[in-house]
Amino acid sequence: MNARDDAAATRSIPTYCYQCVAGPDLLTVKTVNGVATEVQPNFCAAGEHPGAGRVCVKAYGLVQKTYNPHRLTSPMKRTNPKKGRHEDPGFISISWDEALDTIAERLRALRAFGLLDASGYPKLAASFGGGGTPQSYMGTFPAFLAAWGPVDMGFGSGQGVKCYHSEHLYGELWHRAFTVSPDTPLCDYLISCGANVEASGGVVGVRRHADARARGMKRVQVEPHLSVTGACSAEWVPIRPKTDAAFLFALLHVLLHETPRERLDVAFLEARTSSPYLVGPNGFFLRDPASRKPLVWDARRGAAAPFDAPDVEAALEGVRGTEVDAVEIGADGVVVASGTVEGETSFERLVAHLRPSSPEWAAAVCDVPAATIRRIANEFLDAARVGATIEIEGRMLPYRPVAVSLGKTVNNGWGGYECCWARTMLAALVGALEVPGGTLGTTVRLNRPLSERIKSVKPGADGFMAYPMNPTDPEHWNERPNIRNAYKTLVPLASDGPWSQALGPTHFSWMFLDGTPQGLPEVTLPEVWFVSRTNPAISFWDTESVAAKMARFPFTVAFAYTHDETNHMADILLPDATDLESLQLIRIGGSKYVEQFWRSQGFALRQPAVAPRGESRDFTDVATELARRTGILEAYNASINRGAAGVPLKSERWDHSLDTRRAHGRDEIWDAVCRAASAELGDEPRGLDWWKEHGWASRPFPQTDWYLYPALVERGLRFELPYQERLYRIGQELGNRLHDRGMRWWDKQLAEYRPLPEWKDFPGEWTQALVDAGGQPAQFPFWLITARSMQYAWGGNVGMQLIKEVADNVAGHRGVIVNARRAAELGIADGDAVEIATPARSVHGRAVLRHGIRPDTLLLLGQFDHWATPFAKEFGMPSLNALAPMSMALTDATGSGADLLRVALRRAP
Amino acid sequence: MTRWVMIADLRRCVGCQTCTAACRQANATPPGVQWRRVLDMEFGEYPAVKRVFVPVGCMHCDEPPCMQVCPSTATRKRADGVVTIDYDLCIGCSYCAVACPYQARYRTDAPAFAYGEPTAAESEEFDAARIGVATKCTFCVDRIDAGTARGLVPGVDPDATPACVNSCIAGALHFGDRDDPQSNVSRLLAENRHFRMHESLGTGPGFYYLWDREAEAA
Repeated sequence: MNARDDAAATRSIPTYCYQCVAGPDLLTVKTVNGVATEVQPNFCAAGEHPGAGRVCVKAYGLVQKTYNPHRLTSPMKRTNPKKGRHEDPGFISISWDEALDTIAERLRALRAFGLLDASGYPKLAASFGGGGTPQSYMGTFPAFLAAWGPVDMGFGSGQGVKCYHSEHLYGELWHRAFTVSPDTPLCDYLISCGANVEASGGVVGVRRHADARARGMKRVQVEPHLSVTGACSAEWVPIRPKTDAAFLFALLHVLLHETPRERLDVAFLEARTSSPYLVGPNGFFLRDPASRKPLVWDARRGAAAPFDAPDVEAALEGVRGTEVDAVEIGADGVVVASGTVEGETSFERLVAHLRPSSPEWAAAVCDVPAATIRRIANEFLDAARVGATIEIEGRMLPYRPVAVSLGKTVNNGWGGYECCWARTMLAALVGALEVPGGTLGTTVRLNRPLSERIKSVKPGADGFMAYPMNPTDPEHWNERPNIRNAYKTLVPLASDGPWSQALGPTHFSWMFLDGTPQGLPEVTLPEVWFVSRTNPAISFWDTESVAAKMARFPFTVAFAYTHDETNHMADILLPDATDLESLQLIRIGGSKYVEQFWRSQGFALRQPAVAPRGESRDFTDVATELARRTGILEAYNASINRGAAGVPLKSERWDHSLDTRRAHGRDEIWDAVCRAASAELGDEPRGLDWWKEHGWASRPFPQTDWYLYPALVERGLRFELPYQERLYRIGQELGNRLHDRGMRWWDKQLAEYRPLPEWKDFPGEWTQALVDAGGQPAQFPFWLITARSMQYAWGGNVGMQLIKEVADNVAGHRGVIVNARRAAELGIADGDAVEIATPARSVHGRAVLRHGIRPDTLLLLGQFDHWATPFAKEFGMPSLNALAPMSMALTDATGSGADLLRVALRRAP
Repeated sequence: MTRWVMIADLRRCVGCQTCTAACRQANATPPGVQWRRVLDMEFGEYPAVKRVFVPVGCMHCDEPPCMQVCPSTATRKRADGVVTIDYDLCIGCSYCAVACPYQARYRTDAPAFAYGEPTAAESEEFDAARIGVATKCTFCVDRIDAGTARGLVPGVDPDATPACVNSCIAGALHFGDRDDPQSNVSRLLAENRHFRMHESLGTGPGFYYLWDREAEAA
């Protein structure tokens, strides 16, 4: 009998996949005779998981990931002290004892002389892949880092810069929206500016949008190429790259200047936004002289009143030029006007601000016909159903089934602030912000508590939600950065939570190694660098330079799956057990990332479906041993007890805490975590064995918690829109601090702190960068952009033959996509070898001719150009990252940039 | 009677290739042998372009051209519409591959593995009977038969349903009995406009494509 038919030899083991931020999703692994042979959906979870218990193509690569013959399965050390791309590291196998002792010795020596170096930066640095997903595969290593003390987590691999960065920061400020999503199950009309949800939304995003399309939702895809998402949309609008802000401003113009006011959600604007707040001649709110609260114009009494005075009928318009008794307070608490001051409402400022932004104006900027822009604006308005309500779980809520979503490059780098603001204002004008059908935030990563978004709605100043800005006042401003990318010093919005280091300008950590800007302590090399599940030598910009810089790091420890371009520079390679071999419990459900809106929340276990290959070792056991050998075991155990493994082991209701004085085995640690998680869910304290059998457990999560609006109403708060008085003030304060110290190199970024975002020639920033690099625009006529490859994104799976094979079925995985007619003009045929060049560099690949792309645009999918990773180094697939510079001039005020370049294209000789 | 058919809803398919990967794994096909795959197609010229994702594979035709040319009777059609290949009878002549208008058939002449030598998973799943013979999508007939024997309903119960349908994250792929007017597929065909590929050839494919709601089309 074939073993496959022997049920006794066949097992189905529940586990999770969290390879990308659009997860986690639940799956089962079929094993035969102890060998993983197949990934399958977890249909037991189909009733709760919003993706019907399925996993995407990436998860199907996990079997091959386990058995990839290129895996490193024993610890290794470097024998060639010289580091560099063209140096053979000379890795040789060593024992775990030797590897761990070598690392621990370094760490102990480092601790002996203090955790910070002469510049005040942490001597220890650690880099992980973006989106926080590596933490779902790192076991208790976060407890090791917490026990250690200061760690520089700001050496980026793309996160904080190439992510949805403006959305992360401004989204959290405005509506607790680290990521933003349409309320897809109820939305009827979606304007998607470059949001490639069918490639980036994961299982849940794909499922929700497929259901919405089948239901009749109209999606208008606005982007330079016909992406996977464009293909699945009702309409494709091929906009000129990086002009989305103009397009969105024109939509706002139509709503404000071509639409009867009563068609907007005037009640929402009056009560739930700062639209009625009066603004003075210096651009700051006019405030009550006594209470210093912002004033509104009380139409009923014909007088100014504090915004929260009882029975106020706050006017939106008709106030301009009115004189009121007020104070106007600018930066650093300076009173810039007082007494009788002329004011106007924030809404009046908004209306005037957008008067020039007509569709005809935008048409010339965006290369989109004015009639198309106007039609889309009116379709949006018609679909908004202003005034409608819907009952959700017995509660009557506003129903506004329209939304706007933004993709990468649209909402990061210059123009990102403007696009995010315009998107959020489009929602606000029709009352579609944080209500059923509308534009929603999914999760928080800067506000607290991290796992409870609604509870993060706390009252702040001026009737808005509180926000944990990095201080800009003279007393508290962080003159000396805590880490090398200086996020606390330069980016108030980045806040200072666990995620903030990776949300600063993470390219600065690399850039400043070549020269620290005046006023900052000299940026130094970290003395020890940990790397896991990330490959910045491929995934960041200026990859050649990044690789060269990491070659200068004195001691790098890489948790390594295969040899790759980053661990090529490592001193020690540690083979951690991979996805199907190791153990961890994580939180699932609630609302988190991209489109993960659940009606339940709980925990899921990732468990060994098969034995680890070779000597690979569970990350938790590695973390424990490192803690023990480094002499921080007690603090490490205490950190786990406090919740570093995802759940506090001790609370008022349970105590499963570990003895801090001794080392615990992997199963012992996670058994305690499982029991604490069960207790948090209100269940009996179920141990690891129960979780291994069942895989996951949950409790209900109300759909009404998908929406922030009810919490704002309950707490009497307003969305901080449209007028950005706080940001305007903070920008000036930050400027004062920097200028006091002679620091002028951030001035361009300071100019972004405008109370009402303005259109600038955003594409021109990249054209100017070309000129600065010595190029003539006419000779570099193409915009080079990138797009998500669903098959690869976040997966670290370029070494999987299966993934390569199936990804190649999707256009763009074999070369650069070029408009077919434009290619013909250049004498380029499909499959021809081509060169893509900037003034400084060039890359080579094959031409893929398609009609679904603007003639002035080239598209390179994903992030390739590998030169060390086995299998992937044979692809011959170029990458935008190899061409893109790291540039202060192309860094916006939040510290992000964008995947965009001016390039030349020619047939390769 | 029973007629097993598959449906791909083109409004839902996003071309993610999850079905392709799931099929490759569930059926342990060698590299490059994609019994199920999804085409990425374009129509028109810029800017009037449409892009569409079309799952393809063996259509399990009513009148299979592959069966008609098979000299060894290895290719047969079951009463429930599933077109099968008996590897013991197949002589690997590939007439069927030439005759198939859907390019759904493969022949692998030597063992092939992802990285040269077989991995542990590939060793576990390797089937020497598939070397030198024609292979193609089976509608996961083993699952259908094992499932129905247990009283399960293909297309409804995952254990009786083809792997590609189970895996589809967009809910684009469906499977069921076209002869049962109450089945999931019969309802979908009644409620939606649909077509079959190369229908004019008279092959009677057992694979339908949905592209619009019936009421909207009217």
